[in-house]
Amino acid sequence: MDTTVFVPIPDDAPAPGAGAAVTPAVRARALTKTYGHGEAEVRALDGVDVDFAAGRFTAIMGPSGSGKSTLMHLLAGLDSATSGQAFVGSTEVTGMNDKALTALRRSRVGFVFQQFNLLPMFTAEQNITLPVELAGGTVDREWLGTLVDTLSLGKRLTHRPSELSGGQQQRVAIARALVAQPDVVFADEPTGNLDSRSGAEVLSFLRRSVRELGRTIIMVTHDPAAAAYADRVVLIADGRIAGDITDPTPESALAGLDALRTVGAR
Amino acid sequence: MIRITLAQMRRSVGRLAAAGIAIVIGTAFVAVTLLAGNVITSTTYDSIAAQYRGSDLVAGGVPVDDAGLDAVRQVAGVSSADEQLLSFQQLEHGNRTIFQGVLATPSDPAMLPLDLADGALPAGAGQIALPPDVAERFGVEVGEDITLVRNTLVDADADVWEWEEAREQLTVTGIVDDPYGAYSMFGGAAVAPATEVQAWEADLLAPGEVSTEPSTVLVGLDDGADVEQTRAAIDTALSSAVTAAGGDASDLEVVTPTEHAESVAAQMTGGDNIIFTTFVLVFAAVALLVAALVIANTFQVLVAQRTRTLALLRCVGADKGQLRRSVLFEASVLGLASSALGILLGTGIAQAALTIGSGMDLGIPLPTSIDITPAVVIAPLVVGTLVTLVAALAPARAATRVAPLAALRPADAPSSARGAGRFRLIASLVATVIGFVVLGGGVAISTVGDAPSDGILVALLGGSMSFVGVLVGSVFWLPRVVALAGRLVGASGPTARLAAANTLRNPRRTAATSTALLIGVTLVGMMSTAAASARLTMDSELDARYPVDVTVSSDLSGDGSDAAAMPVGLAGAIGDVDGVATVVEVPATLSGLTGPGVDPGAEVMVRGVTPDDATSVLRSPEMVAPLAAGTVVVPEGIAEVWSITDGQTLTFDRPDGELEVTAAVTELQDDAVVVVPADLATLDAAAPTTALYVGLEHPGDAASVVPDIQDVVADTEAPVNVMGAAVERAGFEQVIDTALAIVVGLLGVAVVIALIGVANTLSLSVIERRRESATLRAIGLSKGQLRGMLAVEGVLIALVGAVLGVLLGLVYGWTGAAAALGWAGEPAIVVPWADVSLMIGVALVAGLVASVVPARSAVKTSPVEALATE
Ligand SMILES: Nc1ncnc2c1ncn2[C@@H]1O[C@H](COP(=O)(O)OP(=O)(O)OP(=O)(O)O)[C@@H](O)[C@H]1O
Ligand SMILES: [Mg+2]
Repeated sequence: MDTTVFVPIPDDAPAPGAGAAVTPAVRARALTKTYGHGEAEVRALDGVDVDFAAGRFTAIMGPSGSGKSTLMHLLAGLDSATSGQAFVGSTEVTGMNDKALTALRRSRVGFVFQQFNLLPMFTAEQNITLPVELAGGTVDREWLGTLVDTLSLGKRLTHRPSELSGGQQQRVAIARALVAQPDVVFADEPTGNLDSRSGAEVLSFLRRSVRELGRTIIMVTHDPAAAAYADRVVLIADGRIAGDITDPTPESALAGLDALRTVGAR
Repeated sequence: MIRITLAQMRRSVGRLAAAGIAIVIGTAFVAVTLLAGNVITSTTYDSIAAQYRGSDLVAGGVPVDDAGLDAVRQVAGVSSADEQLLSFQQLEHGNRTIFQGVLATPSDPAMLPLDLADGALPAGAGQIALPPDVAERFGVEVGEDITLVRNTLVDADADVWEWEEAREQLTVTGIVDDPYGAYSMFGGAAVAPATEVQAWEADLLAPGEVSTEPSTVLVGLDDGADVEQTRAAIDTALSSAVTAAGGDASDLEVVTPTEHAESVAAQMTGGDNIIFTTFVLVFAAVALLVAALVIANTFQVLVAQRTRTLALLRCVGADKGQLRRSVLFEASVLGLASSALGILLGTGIAQAALTIGSGMDLGIPLPTSIDITPAVVIAPLVVGTLVTLVAALAPARAATRVAPLAALRPADAPSSARGAGRFRLIASLVATVIGFVVLGGGVAISTVGDAPSDGILVALLGGSMSFVGVLVGSVFWLPRVVALAGRLVGASGPTARLAAANTLRNPRRTAATSTALLIGVTLVGMMSTAAASARLTMDSELDARYPVDVTVSSDLSGDGSDAAAMPVGLAGAIGDVDGVATVVEVPATLSGLTGPGVDPGAEVMVRGVTPDDATSVLRSPEMVAPLAAGTVVVPEGIAEVWSITDGQTLTFDRPDGELEVTAAVTELQDDAVVVVPADLATLDAAAPTTALYVGLEHPGDAASVVPDIQDVVADTEAPVNVMGAAVERAGFEQVIDTALAIVVGLLGVAVVIALIGVANTLSLSVIERRRESATLRAIGLSKGQLRGMLAVEGVLIALVGAVLGVLLGLVYGWTGAAAALGWAGEPAIVVPWADVSLMIGVALVAGLVASVVPARSAVKTSPVEALATE
């Protein structure tokens, strides 16, 4: 396939996007994570350097077990790195204590999960506003209205999760991730549990959040079609950054993945 | 299937352990109860058969003479046979006299049921061994002499028997203890040589008279002698000897000391220990009921969590019966294992208690080790396993209802959305309503109908029925109460709101957990409320019956005939006693009494008391309220005897003068009428002070203050009587307090199990909500907030159970007290605030504590788990 946009990046090359005038929303520097010891040691991440620009929708793709989730956990401060650094804005999250991390998650980072993870005993609205309440803040009604409109949740606010479809639940989860106006939203396979139509719906809402509301979203996905909604795809293989696709299409994303597989198979 | 079940059990070992603890405590309770019953039985037997300690066989029921004794001694296998002889003799030393039972030394000293504590047993004439108390009171030591004073019948033929007093010196050779209380009724027993004791007894008989009283022969056997054979041989030898002497041998009985104890214990209407065991077993039953709730809860959760596995099993061909059997098998394994542990724990506790108990001086010798009978092992094992099985029945049924389809659905947090049945609602409503009506009826029968014993039974029936109704219905109303409480605390912030919402996710489980606590708290609350009400009711009753705390009176016969003046200075001396608040000197005189309609010849004691003094010293001053110059307060009792009516004019006449007064009949309980001192002076200017009214600072201290007053009185050597009404009152109060403490302690076990249930429920919720906790952490819940959330949950569940339990306990306590004591006067409605706040405080703290361990595991959950796919 000669239309490939796959550009292998040497290990010692400067991180993509480095040198841009604005500080990236999220950065990784020599980020490494190993699990286990000795024989059983697994290098889930191996010296990753990557920047994610603010106001962009970035997808992370790679074969299963390549370290996508691990990268995301470390960037979001959900897990501790073995070495290297991760930054949200200019704040280093690696080495933060639990208190600081909690504060970070409250105001600067949002999450969207594959399983939605809404609280079953609360209504959609209560679920959406929960992060602000946990932080002891007051809900910005105007912003909430904007979110609800953008995500078309107006009629569903008083429903409980069990009364919502999977796509609706995931939209509620997106609203919950955005309600505190975080610097960045991480989404790990947000469409993994949805049929293709609801998946497409959710993805276009994610893209609208970036385009219309100016949010920053980093999404892990397996699906080249999903990745095509993003502004950029970061490819990862064997715990290393293995490629970068700007303005991906389903075809270019798939091609990128395929190239990784052939590399991996070699 | 068994393999799968065991594998599943291994996976949920933590949760099973939590349920197991409830059963362990419950069965340990049962085991301890049974062991305590055994210890009580053996100590009871020991003390019943204490007089025969050391004997191998006891023959009794017939008079035995020397020929009979010889016949027994001839029997093969018999090593010794002696008549058990106790003679009461007057012993003197210094200026003290003691009337003491003296036991004859048996030919084999091992058969003496007493222990030699010091010196030696008396070996010849003029020697005696004394019980320690007697030696102490005489102030004599081994080697010193005391005097025996005894009477000999010299002439039994005269109309009036003639006696001759003889005084003999006896040397104290030793001190004998009576460890099993064989002669505690007689303050222990002294010991003297058999020949001496026989001689003393013979002197009490007329010359030639032979005792026909049945005697007891203590028999010692040779080592290795066959008990049954020897018993039969003794029986034959003795009955022929008795028949030969012209006696009737049909009452002859030859028994072992243990057989004797058994038959005596059986005669005592079942025996105290049986009542004790039953009583405690009732509480063990309550504890087990609560444990069953906790276990049922745990299994419900286990089944809910395994929905997918169960459904998968169904998909691959397991039928409903197999699933049910699997759950029940699991329950039996858990029940058996926990019960076995419980028995171990129980025996451990019982043995420890015995070891500690025998180290302390309890007045009775305790066995050194517990007696593990088959019942002690089997009963708790069976009960514990059965309770676990029964508790698992409903969850087992739930397991069979898992559809194979459930395996295909996405994994959701298990929830038991299915509401309880309509039948249950109706049954609970009916039981509650009818129960409360019957309870009210019982109170009415007791108070209005004046039939307390019927009333209590009816009230008990109604109370139990309504309680069962309330418990059965708790699944309907308890979650609502929790919701309400949750809404209240939810206003305080998002953590509390989360907690409140969580408690409502599984109303059944919350209800069951709260209910377990509610049972214990209701019963404890009921007992303490009833005790407080009973005490107040009793107090007003006692105030009326014993208006004066302590009365010191020289009127020994009670009719004034021998009343003498109080020793001078006694009032002051009593006033100086610690704990005495007031002393009022009450002069009195005996006076004739006339008046319209009054029975002729009326004569009463007239006391003079000022209204101020009366108010200060009387517990029920309203009974002398009309007291004033020109008025006489006449106690009801006296008014009835002499036909005196309220408000009529009475005339007292005494040598010194006459007095015309108006009668005021009150409920005062006294044997004298009361006037003001000035009026008394008109009748008898020199009326002696015949009584002191003593008011105590705290009537509850009566038990310690009254003996001090008695000491002060005794110092004056005057013939003065001290009547401590307050002592009786304090006695009543102590009985109530002790009974309450025991009952509350026993019910406390149920409360402890219920609190374990709260911790259990929280732990299960934490395990169940792992992903959710992680999600909350990921969206900004701090560790502290997570802990706080669980703490609020625990407190909500515990507090709702405790508060409702207290309320129910108050209702049952009041109605119970009204039914039981309605006859004793207006039943008092009391809230035992101290106990109530203690219980609520305990629930609050326990709810917090219960959340600690679950919270620790919850905060360990990394937010990463929220992102995990499965
Ligand atoms: N907790 C852990 N302990 C040990 N090894 C782990 C752990 N978590 C991840 N790994 C390993 O680290 C590597 C990267 O895992 P990661 O979950 O990041 O992959 P992924 O790219 O998200 O895969 P997938 O697409 O299947 O979700 C894998 O080899 C995995 O086995
Ligand atoms: Mg992953």
